[in-house]
Amino acid sequence: MLKCTVKFCGGCNPKYERGDAYAAIRSALSGIAEFSLPQDGEHYDALLIITGCTACEYDYAEICADHRIRCSDSSDVPSVIDRLRHLH
Amino acid sequence: MMTKAEYIESLRSLKFNLWMFGKKVENPVDDPVIRPSLNSFAATYELAEDPQYEDLMTATSHLTGKKINRFTHMHQSTDDLIKKVKMQRLLGQKTAACFQRCVGMDAMNAVYSSTYEIDEACGTKYHENFVKFLTMVQEGDLAVDGAMTDVKGDRSKAPSQQADPDLFVHVVERTADGVYVTGAKAHQTGYINSHYVLVMPTISMRDGDEDYAISFACPTDAEGITLIYGRQSCDTRKLEEYNDIDVGNKVYGGHETLVIFDRVFIPNDMIFLNGETKFAGMIVERFAGYHRQSYGGCKVGVGDVLIGATALAVEMAGAAKASHVKDKLIEMTHLNETLYCCGIACSSQGSKTKSGNYLIDLLLANVCKQNVTRFPYDIARLAQDLAGGLMVTQPSEADYRNPELKPLIDKYLKGVDSVPTEDRMRVLRLIENMTMGTAAVGYLPESMHGAGSPQAQRIMIARQSNMEMKKQLAKKIARID
Repeated sequence: MLKCTVKFCGGCNPKYERGDAYAAIRSALSGIAEFSLPQDGEHYDALLIITGCTACEYDYAEICADHRIRCSDSSDVPSVIDRLRHLH
Repeated sequence: MMTKAEYIESLRSLKFNLWMFGKKVENPVDDPVIRPSLNSFAATYELAEDPQYEDLMTATSHLTGKKINRFTHMHQSTDDLIKKVKMQRLLGQKTAACFQRCVGMDAMNAVYSSTYEIDEACGTKYHENFVKFLTMVQEGDLAVDGAMTDVKGDRSKAPSQQADPDLFVHVVERTADGVYVTGAKAHQTGYINSHYVLVMPTISMRDGDEDYAISFACPTDAEGITLIYGRQSCDTRKLEEYNDIDVGNKVYGGHETLVIFDRVFIPNDMIFLNGETKFAGMIVERFAGYHRQSYGGCKVGVGDVLIGATALAVEMAGAAKASHVKDKLIEMTHLNETLYCCGIACSSQGSKTKSGNYLIDLLLANVCKQNVTRFPYDIARLAQDLAGGLMVTQPSEADYRNPELKPLIDKYLKGVDSVPTEDRMRVLRLIENMTMGTAAVGYLPESMHGAGSPQAQRIMIARQSNMEMKKQLAKKIARID
């Protein structure tokens, strides 16, 4: 099981519904990946960064993860699912 | 940090001497007129709990290293200043109203840096006092009202020259333990939803005004404080039997209060300025600057909702494809995003104060607010243009709920086939609420006068304009020695 964590941008003016995108990604990867909010000192296989637009460049370096995968638009959802599935 | 539920419960312990419509209000938390403003304030707690928004809504305290609500944070970088504006836009989008907590954040950041510099110049201990207060606010995730605007009486006279000495908040007695203050602060946004009030002088002071050069904090329900609730256009619609559609925004709102201090005791450790007249102007200028930045976020978020409501109204009327309609929606968006540009610009050009927190670029913040005194009015005008007259002539919700009238209203107020008449009525009432009703207080006159009326920004723009440099530039190009 892929150990994933998720970090949302603050959501000041998102171009799409970030929560819906997250739900779709989780649903598609059910049984393959488990998601949780980041905890101090935890190491993750992948950090999913869900930003509401392409302007947010935060990398969240304080979160320890082998891979960082960014979703900046609803059209990114299929490729994000593919990348995470590929890591499995 | 407090949860939304904990915050609301914490307000129940406050014992206000609060008056509204000529009667004392014993339970403001559950009062139907006041509650929408509480809901807006509570959104600042609710969104901080949500992982989707915590990146904007929270920060790390420079005092304790703990995670805190950004509304209690001292900005530590230009990135913090930018995130503040983005947080305000977000909250404006979620509430379509004034969520009230900005004024305390702006007051705290202004007093934090000012007290540091006052102490440096005067050998006082105001900054130490303030840091102790700030630590309590951050640890308790408390809500703070920033109180600046005095009632001011005769505007041509200084505070100490007024016929009635109480027209500016002032010290009426000094003791070894503290001071007693009397006076009144007008237009206090969010006071009833706050745990503490942070009082600041309202204008620059001169010799003779020492008793008026006072800044302090006290509990909002301190003995000697009387509150008179400010009424708003259409406010009693909230008290009607059918009060869903007609209020426009059922859940959220804002409020202002007249706050009267009658010999309120302030202990020494809650005093942040006491007689140092030449520093009153510094606090005023910094608070005003921060608050003028704020409007480049909050009003933009509210504007987002108004533009969205207008787009829905024209779609529901079948007019969305008309070229002038499209152009007016573009214009509304252009105006709204221009305000946001100003909010982001003055934040990105901020600089570090001696105390370590960051101050916005004052020229750009004043330009931001000057635009805010105009553009929301233009946006509201275009919204009313596109909404059409039905926004103000449609029947009441009581009529719509009458079984005899409902079929008639459904039939004759129908727009496009796919949209129920009730939905159309709701959107039009929302536009009415934001441009003429209770929310217009926050979106229009507050945009005009909040954080200072237009002329106040023009004075600051003149001071900061660097005109001599501009003249030198012109001379060089024109080859004038």
